[in-house]
Amino acid sequence: MQTFTYVIKDELGIHARPAGLLVKEAKNFASTITLEANGKKGAAKGLMGVMSMGVKQGHEVTVTIEGDDEVAAAEAMKSFFETNL
Amino acid sequence: MFDFFKKKAKEYEDVIGAPLKGEAVPSAEVNDPTFAEEMLGKGMAIKPSEGKVYAPFDGEVALVFDTKHAISLVSAKGAEVLIHVGLDTVMLKGEHYTTHVETGAAVKKGDLLLEFDMEAIKAAGYDTITPIVICNADDYKDVIRTTGKQVEPGDTVMELDK
Repeated sequence: MQTFTYVIKDELGIHARPAGLLVKEAKNFASTITLEANGKKGAAKGLMGVMSMGVKQGHEVTVTIEGDDEVAAAEAMKSFFETNL
Repeated sequence: MFDFFKKKAKEYEDVIGAPLKGEAVPSAEVNDPTFAEEMLGKGMAIKPSEGKVYAPFDGEVALVFDTKHAISLVSAKGAEVLIHVGLDTVMLKGEHYTTHVETGAAVKKGDLLLEFDMEAIKAAGYDTITPIVICNADDYKDVIRTTGKQVEPGDTVMELDK
């Protein structure tokens, strides 16, 4: 299992567009990827779930990755957050 | 010769009614790659002629964005739909939008969900075209879209084939 946390810097938080990009990125991997933030938990591969978390600027997101490609997936998700959020 | 009796109208898993009055157009006409390239899922868009958004089916409000510019719903049969009123309108932070439902509310097709001031949004420099996206389009074999015409709220704009 891989895990990391990231504090959202983007002024608008995870709104529709970044949520869509995040799901797309997560779907590139076989691992189960879970997000936890704002008191909610959701699968990173479901757009509705990700949007419903209502993640805003300043929120800390905990990302948990579990599966055969978890190391590569964790790297990719980390760089996704740093680049986009 | 008995084909007439055998042929039944195809039954779709789910049917999405137009949430707004206006011109139904393909996603490709949306001037934002997120929607034009259907990054969030398959869908279509409506160029509204009235600033009112109605429930596209019987179901539940999954999320009213706190910026009020978008709303997502889940149909009674599980279709997940995002209605995104205008492009880049997240920047308006709720201004010119009035919501009539809350997250978690049960809705009937045709219920008024949201009103927006079309002229004010245009005057602020935003396009009011409203993409309607099936967020779980991958769960369906096909999404049949009806575009290229004027629609009234409730007219069928998408049919989902499982």
